[in-house]
Amino acid sequence: MLSHLITLAETAAPAAQAEAPSGITKIVQDFGLSWPFFLAQVLNFLIVAFILWKFAFKPVLATLDERQQKIASGLKYAEEMKSKLEAVQEESVASSKRSQAEASKVIDEARKAAKEFLDKQTQEASVKAGEILAKAQQVIELEKKKMLGEARTEIARLVVETTQRVLSKELSEADRSRYNESAAKELTSL
Amino acid sequence: MASHAKNAQKFARLLFKLSVVDGAVSADRVAGAIEYVEKHNLANPVMVLKAYHRLVETELAKSLAVVEHAGAIQEATLAAIASAMTRKYGRTVTATSKPNPGLLAGLRVQVGDDIYESSVRGQLATLASSV
Repeated sequence: MLSHLITLAETAAPAAQAEAPSGITKIVQDFGLSWPFFLAQVLNFLIVAFILWKFAFKPVLATLDERQQKIASGLKYAEEMKSKLEAVQEESVASSKRSQAEASKVIDEARKAAKEFLDKQTQEASVKAGEILAKAQQVIELEKKKMLGEARTEIARLVVETTQRVLSKELSEADRSRYNESAAKELTSL
Repeated sequence: MASHAKNAQKFARLLFKLSVVDGAVSADRVAGAIEYVEKHNLANPVMVLKAYHRLVETELAKSLAVVEHAGAIQEATLAAIASAMTRKYGRTVTATSKPNPGLLAGLRVQVGDDIYESSVRGQLATLASSV
């Protein structure tokens, strides 16, 4: 086929030279442009371009599109993940703050309860100590009174006993008679 | 048993009432009461006589002033005490003396359950109890 085109071009060339060359014809002649060759090359080019477009560019473009979509979806997923991560981090921070606040509240309540308990225990211990002290003082006072009473009784008993011994020895019959008369007067005047 | 004792007490009180004349126990009446118990066959003569004895003894004690004394005591003093007790109780009270050196000095008169004391021992006891 190509040989036919070349032959056709050779036969057409003298005919063209015979005529008076115009501007375009002259350019064509100067550059040696052969329309059959040119058309054949255009045809060849179109065929090659079509084949390349069909079997090379199209799959490559499809692959590139697919990859671009994958990249886009990956970026989108990454963005979503990033936003989710940020949300989770924010939630985590908020939860941590809430937990910290609750923990602080619990600690404060525990401290308050411990302080109240300590105050109550201290107060009760103070009251008990006061009661024990008061009882001890009462016991001491009672013991003191009892001891003084016993001592007084013992002293009185000793004094009376000594006096009785002395009087039994020292009183004369005359003294006793006088005392008896005095006692008789006292008893008869009742 | 309890009813027998009660009856014996009751009968003894009856005999005692009959034995008192003018506020004083009569020896004749007492002898008559004892004779009555001996002659009559009572249910519990021993219980009756015991109760009667207690009543008579108590009554006689009311009519007897036991004058305890340390040292000598004159008859006139005894008479004065008997007279004073007679006036006080409204019945005849006789006085009898009983030496008691523990009084140290002074007198202690007991009429029945009543005791009157004016002695050194009593004053010392009062002093000891007041200290």
